Amino acid sequence: MVISMPPAPNKDDLDATWAFLEDGVNRIMTNLKDGVDMKSYMGIYTAVHNFCTSQKAVASGGGVIGGNAHRGAHLLGEDLYKNLRAYLKNHLEVLYTQSKGHVDEALLTYYIREWDRYTTAAKYVNHLFKYLNRHWVKREVDEGKKDVYDVYTLHLVSWRQVFFDKVHSSVMDAVLKMVKKQRDGETIEQSHIKSIVDSFVSLGLDETDTTKSTLDVYRFNFEKPFLDATTKYYEEESKQFVAQNPVVEYMKKAEARLQEEKDRVGLYLHQDIMNPLMKTCLGVLVTDHSTLLRDEFQVLLDTDRQEDLARMYKLLSRIIDGLEPLRTKFEAHVRKSGLAAVEKVAIEGENMEPKTYVDTLLEVHSQYQQLVDNAFNGESEFVRSLDNACKEFVNRNKVCVTGSTRSPELLAKYTDTLLKKSGKSAEEADLEASLIQIMTVFKYIEDKDVFQKFYSRMLAKRLVHSSSASEDAETSMIGKLKEACGYEYTNKLQRMFQDIQISADLNSNFKEWVSKALDEEDMKKTVDSNYHILGTGFWPLTAPATNFYPPADIVKTYDRFQSFYFDKHNGRKLTWLWQLCKGEIKANYIKNSKIPYTFMVSTYQMAILLLFNDSDTVTYEDMQKATALSNEYLDPSLGVFVKAKVLLPSPENGKPEPGTSYSLNFNFKNKKIKVNLNISVKSEAKQEVEDTHKTIEEDRKLLMQSAIVRIMKSRKKMKHVVLVQETISQIKSRFTPKIPDIKKSIDQLIEKEYLERLDEDELGYLA
Amino acid sequence: MSTAQTTIKLQSSDGAEIVVEREVAERSVLIKNMMEDIGEQAMTEAIPIPNVNEAVLNKVIEWCNHHRADPPTANDEDADSRKKTTDIEEWDQKFMQVDQEMLFEIILAANYLDIKALLDVGCKTVANMIKGKSPEEIRKTFNIQNDFTPEEEDQIRRENEWAEE
Repeated sequence: MVISMPPAPNKDDLDATWAFLEDGVNRIMTNLKDGVDMKSYMGIYTAVHNFCTSQKAVASGGGVIGGNAHRGAHLLGEDLYKNLRAYLKNHLEVLYTQSKGHVDEALLTYYIREWDRYTTAAKYVNHLFKYLNRHWVKREVDEGKKDVYDVYTLHLVSWRQVFFDKVHSSVMDAVLKMVKKQRDGETIEQSHIKSIVDSFVSLGLDETDTTKSTLDVYRFNFEKPFLDATTKYYEEESKQFVAQNPVVEYMKKAEARLQEEKDRVGLYLHQDIMNPLMKTCLGVLVTDHSTLLRDEFQVLLDTDRQEDLARMYKLLSRIIDGLEPLRTKFEAHVRKSGLAAVEKVAIEGENMEPKTYVDTLLEVHSQYQQLVDNAFNGESEFVRSLDNACKEFVNRNKVCVTGSTRSPELLAKYTDTLLKKSGKSAEEADLEASLIQIMTVFKYIEDKDVFQKFYSRMLAKRLVHSSSASEDAETSMIGKLKEACGYEYTNKLQRMFQDIQISADLNSNFKEWVSKALDEEDMKKTVDSNYHILGTGFWPLTAPATNFYPPADIVKTYDRFQSFYFDKHNGRKLTWLWQLCKGEIKANYIKNSKIPYTFMVSTYQMAILLLFNDSDTVTYEDMQKATALSNEYLDPSLGVFVKAKVLLPSPENGKPEPGTSYSLNFNFKNKKIKVNLNISVKSEAKQEVEDTHKTIEEDRKLLMQSAIVRIMKSRKKMKHVVLVQETISQIKSRFTPKIPDIKKSIDQLIEKEYLERLDEDELGYLA
Repeated sequence: MSTAQTTIKLQSSDGAEIVVEREVAERSVLIKNMMEDIGEQAMTEAIPIPNVNEAVLNKVIEWCNHHRADPPTANDEDADSRKKTTDIEEWDQKFMQVDQEMLFEIILAANYLDIKALLDVGCKTVANMIKGKSPEEIRKTFNIQNDFTPEEEDQIRRENEWAEE
């Protein structure tokens, strides 16, 4: 089995030593599978050692001081090194000649087999020539000799120079043929390619430092041709595929191919190729077809193909600037569908329920919000496009043709219906969910001041009439508004709540006081009463628009309260908001009822009804005189009585006008014991809306003027144009001001001598 | 790996067989590499060490046995600091108290067997023998003949003036 070594050579004889070594090296190189016996192993090592230490110079060891190194110590070994190099060259040339007999996979097999054999042998030889490495090679390298490597590296360098440089392109051709086969769906021996990759990587030697390796050889000889072939392959494939298949199918194909290539790296390629390979594939598969993909986007949106949209998003998100055109299209699409949806409900005109409108807005928003989440990964840029689109169709749509204030008005009204007590009050959780939805729309509203106006009016009504469905819900809603718009926005709303709270305490104090201060006789005459004290500045309420003599029966009661209140708060002024007051009256006069009916009425109605305590018939003129009500208030109140048949006019169809008289209907009948006659009339409600809009205009003027004054106060001097811009930016969180309005405000301020005109279109602040 | 249990046989140049634990023997990089390359055969047959005689081999094994658990210090980083100091730990100092001939044999063997740490200790010991001595004393210590001509000596002195300040 083992051929025994010839006897150890004379250490001073180069030829004899080399002959001995060559024999050993050759056996390792060509016949390692038969093993190396220990005697040979030790023999070769010793021969190298002995040769290198033979000519007695100075013993090696620590470094040599001084420039001329060869003077101090002379190290032997160059001859051995040269001989070894020559041997390797020769050996590899033989390998190259043999390689010519193989092509394609057979060539790969040959390359890999020889590479494995060669590198294994190199490891042995490196060990056996360790002494040469440690001394002669080390010295040469330390002295900066290029072209001298440790013995193992010498093997690799030789392989590269003598063998690799001649065969790598045919090896690579074979590799690429295999890869193409695999891409075409055939099974291949992947480990072959892996071995080739490893070999190419191993050959990357840093010429300046052999302990380090570079990927240069691999990159140039493997990566580059691999990427080129990849480009070519997918260029052809994708071109053919899109010509024969729909775009959505192509996207599936591209997605699958990208994944496949990514997996390929893990299977048998070097990790280093991941980025360039992905870039190459994306370029050919996605970038080159991006126009085609984008053209399909609108179609997919129209048909709501979420899965395909998601796929398109994923593909285009991976290339530079791939998504921007999609976002623009998406924004336009959302705006269009929003407008279309609103247009549909706008047909109902004035009769449209606020809920219908808000639900329509929400539906569009949630549909596309969901699309953004599902298909576009919830990406913030798409969210922004969605927001932009929503802002457009919420503020400028068919319903808002008369002005952008319609949206906030309807939203506020819808909020009111949610928060008001009603037959079918919602579950607490459902209510909260609805409020959150309201806030979604609110976010997009530009005229937030309009919402605030309407909201505060309706809140005032809910509070005054104690008609809130849930105090928690009210608080929650105000909290949300505060979060969205800040303290100032909700300040007044919160003060309104406080007033109601304080009033409750005040009432119980008053009752206590009454029970102590009055004797029994007085107590009998008192009317059971409840009061709200509302701060003038915080409530969107105004004093009654008509004169009114309150009925004598309640005068005493409220006088007493007033004196109680002024006692507590000296110097305050109370204005009675009769139009908001209400009461209950028991109708003892009705014959056919055992239990007397109770009429729930406004104070105005109360004053009218109480007149009938003195006479069963009262003329219109007497009513006017007794109540002092103007006919805008008197007439509708009477109208409700007549309609409910509490009063009977004479003549029978007499209009509320002088000449008509009214008498009590003693035969009044109703299913309920408590009859609500305090019904606001439609025209009244409409009037209110108009009033609200009017106050909005007024408030906006003030808001603009105060903003202008604030800005000028801090800047003193400013160009007209700049001032206008600054004003817009300060108040756009509340509403979007129109430039002519701002100019008008500036003119008004100049008139009031807050500002003055300076030269060149400049304005100055007058303290 | 349970290298600690296994023993191998070394055969000195004068034919003596010495049984030694594998872990100890592998302080020699030569033996370590060979065990890796040849494996099986080296476990059963005696490993020929053609350049070292029994006495020296025993001495080397003694040192290896003492230092069997030393952490490997093959890094170039501490190679520098190793060169700079001539400090030798106490056990090694005692170990090196041998006649000059044995000392040089040990150094040669360490070099041959590729036991860096032992080579260092040997060289440091020699360095310490030189330290503080005049050229003449050094020649005497190592029994060296002065083969410089007076002119040559002069030139060397001038070149190395800087070192004597």
